Amino acid sequence: MYALLEAIAKWLEGTWWGTGARTTLWAYPFIQLIHFSGISLWLGTNVAVDLRLLGLGKNRQTAAQLSEDLFAWNWTAFCIVVLGGFLLFSATATTFITNPAFRIKLGILVPSALVWHIIVQSKARVWGRTADTPTVAKLAGLIELLLWLSVVTAAVEIPNF
Amino acid sequence: MDLLGFCEWLEHASWIVTISKTGWMYQSVEITHYFSLFILVGTSFIVDLRVLGIAARRESVSQISEQLFPWVWTALCLAVASGFIMFATDAADFYPDWVFRTKMAVILIAILFTIVVQLTTRSDLPGATHTFSKLAAAASLIFWVGAILAAVEIAAISGLG
Repeated sequence: MYALLEAIAKWLEGTWWGTGARTTLWAYPFIQLIHFSGISLWLGTNVAVDLRLLGLGKNRQTAAQLSEDLFAWNWTAFCIVVLGGFLLFSATATTFITNPAFRIKLGILVPSALVWHIIVQSKARVWGRTADTPTVAKLAGLIELLLWLSVVTAAVEIPNF
Repeated sequence: MDLLGFCEWLEHASWIVTISKTGWMYQSVEITHYFSLFILVGTSFIVDLRVLGIAARRESVSQISEQLFPWVWTALCLAVASGFIMFATDAADFYPDWVFRTKMAVILIAILFTIVVQLTTRSDLPGATHTFSKLAAAASLIFWVGAILAAVEIAAISGLG
């Protein structure tokens, strides 16, 4: 299993995009830009709904409305994040797969947060129908916020290993 | 005392030295900076996209604007506070760096355009104000993307941070 992962990582580094991202001076910051802009829109759309579920901030629309309104851009942002992340990973894939912070981020935290996000997004239609959200919605919103915070934490820790 | 002198003094201020030398303290500041800047840029993006007519079209411009602007400014405060501490730990190197100065200028312009977006979306004004608001929203979007680019270029070009 790990041998397969290693082989894929090695192959990715050798592809034209992996090599390009690693060896051209200008490419890497632009790929970071794609990844970070995508994350901004992804987290912006997520957190806006989470905070609304929590009952914090303004109450100009229900959580259900907000969640549905932002749905398209939420998943557009996700695609941008994945594209940027895939290119960043391809640049130095063999180093990334040995990094403990990266492993925790991609192996545990991102999948957990993503599954939780999909649950919250589908439940928001029911939980968020009224202006005042039920306790379970508040808890779910808080947990999603903390899960994404943990993802950012793991990402910040990657260079420290 | 000139500004560079101030930067040198700041860098050696005891509380800055403590934060910079204590792993978990500095990392907490970094995590705060990243998380809040993502929320800041993301929520600002959503308002800009709504003003431009390509997101959350079932809500009025003022509804989205009023819902999200409190989070834009809350996140900005956190990003500025954490960013200042990160700057302070290496102030004498950041201060003369032209990429860092460009980043600060781009952020300032982005903030100004974002303020214009907020002021012109308080109520759903028709006609000329709407066009003006759209121009400001496009500029806000471009300058926030530019701020991220300038930020990643500090490491890529100047090797700081």
